[in-house]
Amino acid sequence: MIGAISRNKACSGSPTPETKSSKGTYITAKRPHRAAAARQGAGVAVTEQRPRQLLSSSPFIRRLTQSLLVLPAYQALPSAADAPPAFTEVGLRYTRYSEDSIDRNAVIFGATDRYDIDITQLWIEAPVGASWSVALDVQNDYQTGASPWFIGAQQDGDPGVIMSGASIQDNRVEVGVTTRYFWADGNAGLSVSHSDEDDYEALALAFDASWNTADDARTWTASASSSRDTLNPTQGVIPVFITEADLDTQSGYFGVSQILSRAAIARIGVNYTYSEGYLSDPYKFRDQRPDTHERVALSAGYRHFFIDHDAALQVDYRYYADSWGTDSQTLELGWAQNLSRSLLTPYLRYYSQREADFFSVIADTDASNYADDYRLSSYGAVTIGARWAIALNDMWALEFEAERYMSDASWGLYEGEAAPALVDFWRGTVGVTWRFD
Amino acid sequence: MGGPACLVIDAPAEQSADLEHVPSEVVAQLAALEGRYSRYRSDSLVSTINARAGTGEFTELDAEMSALLDLADQLWGASDGLFDITSGPLRKAWDFQDGGSASPEHVASALKLVGWDRIEWRDSGLHLPQQGMEIDLGGLAKEYAADCVMRLMREAGVSSGMIELAGDVATIGAQGNGKPWQIGIQDPRGSGSLLTITLTDSAIATSGNYARKIEHEGRSYGHLLDPRSGWPVEGPASVSVIDSHCLTAGAVATVACLKAEAGATEWLAHAGLPWLMVDEHHALLGPIAEAALVSS
Repeated sequence: MIGAISRNKACSGSPTPETKSSKGTYITAKRPHRAAAARQGAGVAVTEQRPRQLLSSSPFIRRLTQSLLVLPAYQALPSAADAPPAFTEVGLRYTRYSEDSIDRNAVIFGATDRYDIDITQLWIEAPVGASWSVALDVQNDYQTGASPWFIGAQQDGDPGVIMSGASIQDNRVEVGVTTRYFWADGNAGLSVSHSDEDDYEALALAFDASWNTADDARTWTASASSSRDTLNPTQGVIPVFITEADLDTQSGYFGVSQILSRAAIARIGVNYTYSEGYLSDPYKFRDQRPDTHERVALSAGYRHFFIDHDAALQVDYRYYADSWGTDSQTLELGWAQNLSRSLLTPYLRYYSQREADFFSVIADTDASNYADDYRLSSYGAVTIGARWAIALNDMWALEFEAERYMSDASWGLYEGEAAPALVDFWRGTVGVTWRFD
Repeated sequence: MGGPACLVIDAPAEQSADLEHVPSEVVAQLAALEGRYSRYRSDSLVSTINARAGTGEFTELDAEMSALLDLADQLWGASDGLFDITSGPLRKAWDFQDGGSASPEHVASALKLVGWDRIEWRDSGLHLPQQGMEIDLGGLAKEYAADCVMRLMREAGVSSGMIELAGDVATIGAQGNGKPWQIGIQDPRGSGSLLTITLTDSAIATSGNYARKIEHEGRSYGHLLDPRSGWPVEGPASVSVIDSHCLTAGAVATVACLKAEAGATEWLAHAGLPWLMVDEHHALLGPIAEAALVSS
């Protein structure tokens, strides 16, 4: 059910909440952290008040400037005590997610078109008084397309996909409100969100807090969330066998980030999630998953700023293991390059997953738990993409992002059966942000 | 600091009360720096070092002095010895107060007392090995002072301010009305300004060879001397450089003035910062001049 893959949220540390949907999209859908488009120093330098750095192209002058950093007059001012944003921000983002059609040869029956999703996000964040901020997030997903219903054997013995018949059209709306309190050394936020679509409803409550040490070199982050999801699967072309079910999820995260030097910052964190209830996919013909699911993820990140290149190297690693036997590892490398008014970050991500204990390409319905969902199979995936954040002026910013994801059973580090329905997709995003007093 | 000073702070009415204490703090800061680095003050750190020349007594250095001397060392290396803060004795030999004239013997004997590489260093102390040797942090200290004042003002919450110290200018933000600070660059030949530049959140430092003159064998030279030969340099009349801080801008401008024009142009081009040169024919060169031409 919760088939989403969280996208790492680099320096802030806390994980991006998963999208609550019956279809389990691959995109986590939260507005970008307000630091996103700002100048990338060591990944930290966002609220620093420092003189505009002319950044001479001469290595000698830059060395001269670096050597002066021992003197307070040339150091950046310590970042302002955690404070609410100085301005109100409104943002709008549109994402198009489009899965490649499934290979005709892999299909036994059904259309070859797969999912397309149009995602529109709107957010508003505003300071309230001297110590508070409030944010409203609204997201709309419009999904069309077909997905694998189950896997059967073709005439030659190879597994083949039976796709869901007619194309679904489903609209999901999620609304979230977050209130945040700032004090000298940190901030804490409480958020409530509600997600609604024809066959699925989710209500979630989350709390997060972060605090900085006195020298501002270390930030601790903790968060906890709880959600209750209710499914009312739509009876349609695909017969479903339950009328209503629900599941509960609790999750906690704890992490720390540390400034290692003027040019480097590192972070580690651990996340634990527990789900209980109806965890199977009601739209899959042969899918019976355990009614509990425990997940642990360890993540680490490192950012190094290269002054000669005016760019930062980003490295993120995540190790995941769960009670279903699905271990995975993710490694992402990015290069955040400062340009005159923008930040361009090409990135490369590698993901490898081990199949769930109860997965088999053609589901074994004699077992107590079984699934043929390709998302529980053993595979490797490569994502290549780039983000471009442009500051047009003090008030307006644009962002563009494009990504290509490709997966293949043979690209993984783990053994397992190759699922025929592994997906490749394109994703493109455009967004605009407006800040005003 | 050897020149006139001007401080401007633009603040909205509600901030004025908070910033009232800033001007007096700035004056105190400047006085403190003068007390440490002025060679005209007998109790300054610099004068203490100079007084101990040739006595064998080492003077301990704190972090600030060490950083400034480290800068002087980097500039000495990068300028092939042209920038040398021990060249004080040469100045005396030329005796600028009297319109300057010197004999070769005076220059030769003064040269014996000059040489950055002759300074003796220990764990955080230095010693000038011969009596009569001296270090002069004048130029660097003035620019450093401007940067210290900037830091002081920023910490106090000033978002719109400017300081001018004897021709070097540093700014915070733009003026209160949102327009950049308008700074005039002095004409080396006389009073009045050559052109006006705009600064926002940056500094401009000007080094010139025009304030005092040497007359020698019928020719007129500026007061900057080549510490390797002892004789006046034949370089530009003045050089101005813009950077985020005064000290780095001033360092680049000072070294440029010590070079002959061709070398100065190359040095400035390499430094990668906006610059302006007034050459001996009073022509204006450099990106700042070109920008001014375009916008006029």
